Amino acid sequence: MRSCRYRLLVACVCLALAPLNHTQTGVIARLPLTRRADMVATARKLAAHTWIVGEANLRASCARNYRSDWKPGQRVTGIPYSWGGIDGPEAFDQKLKKGLAAGAHSRYGVLSCTTGIDCSGFVSLCWGLSPSGHAYSTSNLRAIAGKPKDNWFTDLKEGDALSKPGSHVVLFTGYNPDGTINVCEASGSAARVICHMTTWSRYKGYMPLRYKNIDE
Amino acid sequence: MRRPSGVIFLFLVTALMAGNAGGGPRGSGSEVRTIALTRVIRIPVSALSVQESAELQDGDSANLAAWPGAADEPPEGPNGFDVLDDGSFLISDPLRSRIAVFDSQGKFRGAWKIAFAADSITVIPKGLVLVHEASTGQLHVFDSQGQPHPNEGAALPEPAPARVLDSKSGTVSRLATGDAHGGPLDVRFDIPGLTLLSLQTLATDHEGNTYIALETTAGGEATDAINLKKYVRRYAASGKLVCEITDIPLDYYIAPVDELRVHKGIVYQLMTTSSEVRINVWDTN
Repeated sequence: MRSCRYRLLVACVCLALAPLNHTQTGVIARLPLTRRADMVATARKLAAHTWIVGEANLRASCARNYRSDWKPGQRVTGIPYSWGGIDGPEAFDQKLKKGLAAGAHSRYGVLSCTTGIDCSGFVSLCWGLSPSGHAYSTSNLRAIAGKPKDNWFTDLKEGDALSKPGSHVVLFTGYNPDGTINVCEASGSAARVICHMTTWSRYKGYMPLRYKNIDE
Repeated sequence: MRRPSGVIFLFLVTALMAGNAGGGPRGSGSEVRTIALTRVIRIPVSALSVQESAELQDGDSANLAAWPGAADEPPEGPNGFDVLDDGSFLISDPLRSRIAVFDSQGKFRGAWKIAFAADSITVIPKGLVLVHEASTGQLHVFDSQGQPHPNEGAALPEPAPARVLDSKSGTVSRLATGDAHGGPLDVRFDIPGLTLLSLQTLATDHEGNTYIALETTAGGEATDAINLKKYVRRYAASGKLVCEITDIPLDYYIAPVDELRVHKGIVYQLMTTSSEVRINVWDTN
């Protein structure tokens, strides 16, 4: 009797998992194949993108309490941070020309009248994912990225990410001789995409992630 | 009745062993003082609502401002600080585009209305203060009263270069300062089960004392997330390890850009929570 119940349980679990595994495999098969060097090149391109703030880009017509991070005529380096955004350089330049506001924070809500990129949008673009739809956030990046089994403090590779689900994600770009690390991120506090050196303590509680379709 | 000499002997041996275990980290085998947290300065933080975020121009509030963030956006707020010669604190208040000034006890003294969001503050010699503009990376020069000095050229002081050699050791190339000659400093980290991750030079004073932050693995069982420990050590000009801080908390609500500062032998840590800015203070003197 007990053996019968056990078999039934195993069968149910298998049936439940089978479509999930199939779906997972399907998702990964559809992911673009991306080289690590290209991930870092994209990150640096987004951080190095230079633009000029126009008068129209200081106002968000769809938000009453909007306050811009910028000044008119200011020359800025780095795609601006925009919560919910996933604009690469070309899309950003087009929207800037159309007069959309440059960047926004979550305190103004997800806005249709602003342009820029947020943290998970940034990592998605670096990993070569399509910007349409902003399909991945820090909460579901695990669907397309695994936890590296290596020693996180010595064996991460450029293009891996450090993620805290529900909060923030950054792209790892290398170690320094003093043991600190280099990352690129769409930073709300810096209001744009930046690449910088940082310490591990800033990432306590974060989880390393490795994109599942890397062209190694 | 037997005299309790055996018990006394055992007690003495245990006490001696405990004394050794408490004093010495970490390679040199000599007496290294462990510095306990000396005091905590607490400054209130106002968590802003959406409506309040539209009215952030209030430059005279004694409270610092924080935004709690949202899904995929970490909290924002005070993330830079430094200490003036008189022991008062300059703390960045980026959401209000100002630098707030507090005395050494944490009492609000006023604010510099700088008209940009700052994320790092560095007090440099000659009574000048370098303020890093978060959204441009530009450095702005102020005097200690908050007056801008736009024509003053200034650069951030270069920290002494450091290198991790292996899981237990590293080296720091000390720069010559004041009466100290500089030169290489060997750093050993010998706590069983822990691995040295990084070395960062915080400061070198005029007597040649060097203050170094060490990050190490946390030990214990593997977890799903990054876990680590942080130490600050003071080395004498001779290269001798003098003392160590081992109880540095790392559970940041707002990740600091200026995490640690050293001033006159006192180590300060900026720890912003959802309700207050804590400045943790360890006096190594």
